[in-house]
Amino acid sequence: MSTTHGHAPIQESGQLSEFEVLELAVRELAIEKGLFSAEDHRRFSEWAESRGPHGGSKLVAKAWVDPAFKERLLTNGTEACKEVGLNWLEPTGQGTPSDYTFFYVLENTPKLHNVIVCTLCSCYPRPVLGMSPDWYRTPNYRRRMVRWPREVLAEFGLHLSPDVEVRVHDSNQKSRFMVMPMRPEGTEGWSEEQLAAIVTRDCMIGVALPRPDWTAQQVPSQATPSQAKGKGGRK
Amino acid sequence: MGRYKIGDRVTVRDATTLFHTRTQGYARGSTGTVVDTRPEWIVPEDEAFGILENGRHEPFYVVRFNQKELWPDYTGFDVDTLESEFSESWLMPAGKERK
Amino acid sequence: MGSTPTQYDTLQRQVSNLNPVDRLLLDSPYTISNELYSVLRHVLHDVGGQPDTPVPFTEKGEEPWEMNTYVTCECLGWRGVWNSEERRRRENDLGMTQYFGLPYYARWITVATKSLIDQGLITTDELGKKIDEVRDRLTKRKK
Repeated sequence: MSTTHGHAPIQESGQLSEFEVLELAVRELAIEKGLFSAEDHRRFSEWAESRGPHGGSKLVAKAWVDPAFKERLLTNGTEACKEVGLNWLEPTGQGTPSDYTFFYVLENTPKLHNVIVCTLCSCYPRPVLGMSPDWYRTPNYRRRMVRWPREVLAEFGLHLSPDVEVRVHDSNQKSRFMVMPMRPEGTEGWSEEQLAAIVTRDCMIGVALPRPDWTAQQVPSQATPSQAKGKGGRK
Repeated sequence: MGRYKIGDRVTVRDATTLFHTRTQGYARGSTGTVVDTRPEWIVPEDEAFGILENGRHEPFYVVRFNQKELWPDYTGFDVDTLESEFSESWLMPAGKERK
Repeated sequence: MGSTPTQYDTLQRQVSNLNPVDRLLLDSPYTISNELYSVLRHVLHDVGGQPDTPVPFTEKGEEPWEMNTYVTCECLGWRGVWNSEERRRRENDLGMTQYFGLPYYARWITVATKSLIDQGLITTDELGKKIDEVRDRLTKRKK
């Protein structure tokens, strides 16, 4: 769904951001004092830039075609990630300071829909999904998702029937979560790669469901306005 | 081994916290069911203030609540639930609530 | 920002507009009730369930300084200078105006800076000098 969202400039173009100045000043002082090295910063940046929703998509697609892998993924998420080349110990050898190493995959069923939120900050499984979307970090999403989940999901274009349990996971400690959606109809015989393409980031947060005609790169033209929301700025 | 096991009914303590907490206000005083256990982690009350070497470690639990019991005016359906994690000292057996 | 008396006056007026007033006038009252105190000391980041109206859930994408802030904060954690829970606690310490007033990663870099100062790892005067030096350098580069 990321392609449907507009990019609002946060400040006038060309103006030097005081936050950019502060960050660089702090980083340079930290390096001068030996708190960490320029090499640490470069290595961590490279790792962070290599992370994205494609990691999670791969996990879900593999689980859809390989029941034994799915079992391993649901039983020990952190360990199963290694099978698709995702190691939660990277890039420091002990995991990242903010994501820890306890990963749990939440399986949707015909009677259960999972969705993740972090009301206290913005905990998110960066090692498998990359950086969180901006809206996920907003106080608005944090305030409302725990108490009005069906309303918020409807704002994302997701309407769930009354007999489907909506289970909100408020990620508040060291566990990190990802939703494993159900494989949609119309994908029979698809390759793992084809399947991975329709498992978008929002499906793995739990605010969308995968559709055979909807990938992160290609949103169907018949998308309703509510599904393609987000154009334009918030302010 | 922690004090609670999967299936136990537990109530989240309603203790005063100043400055920082990871036990959400909405969960306090609410009763739910332990649905999973977690490893022993350092408690955030110590970690948040840099007390690492002597920081207390406790078992953590995943507790599932019925949404209708968490919010007085919940607008969803009876089947809806919410899960979150709590350290052992934030929990007590259900039915032992004060007052 | 405050280089001339007029500019400084403008800044002061803007600061006074930030008074944490939201329907309730709070300007260092002589006394307050326990009830108001319990509202004021509610841990800021604990927002789950607070009523709010729908807004468009938009995406902006990371600016370079935002990604750099994330990485700098993680490197400080990696090398044991602080930990992520300390960061989250320090964000609460900012108080309501800055917690909700600063962009997400501006909160991060602000509290990382404060942690380094509190721990005696850097001083405010060397930080101020460094900020001015970096600003000059980046301004020249952008020209």
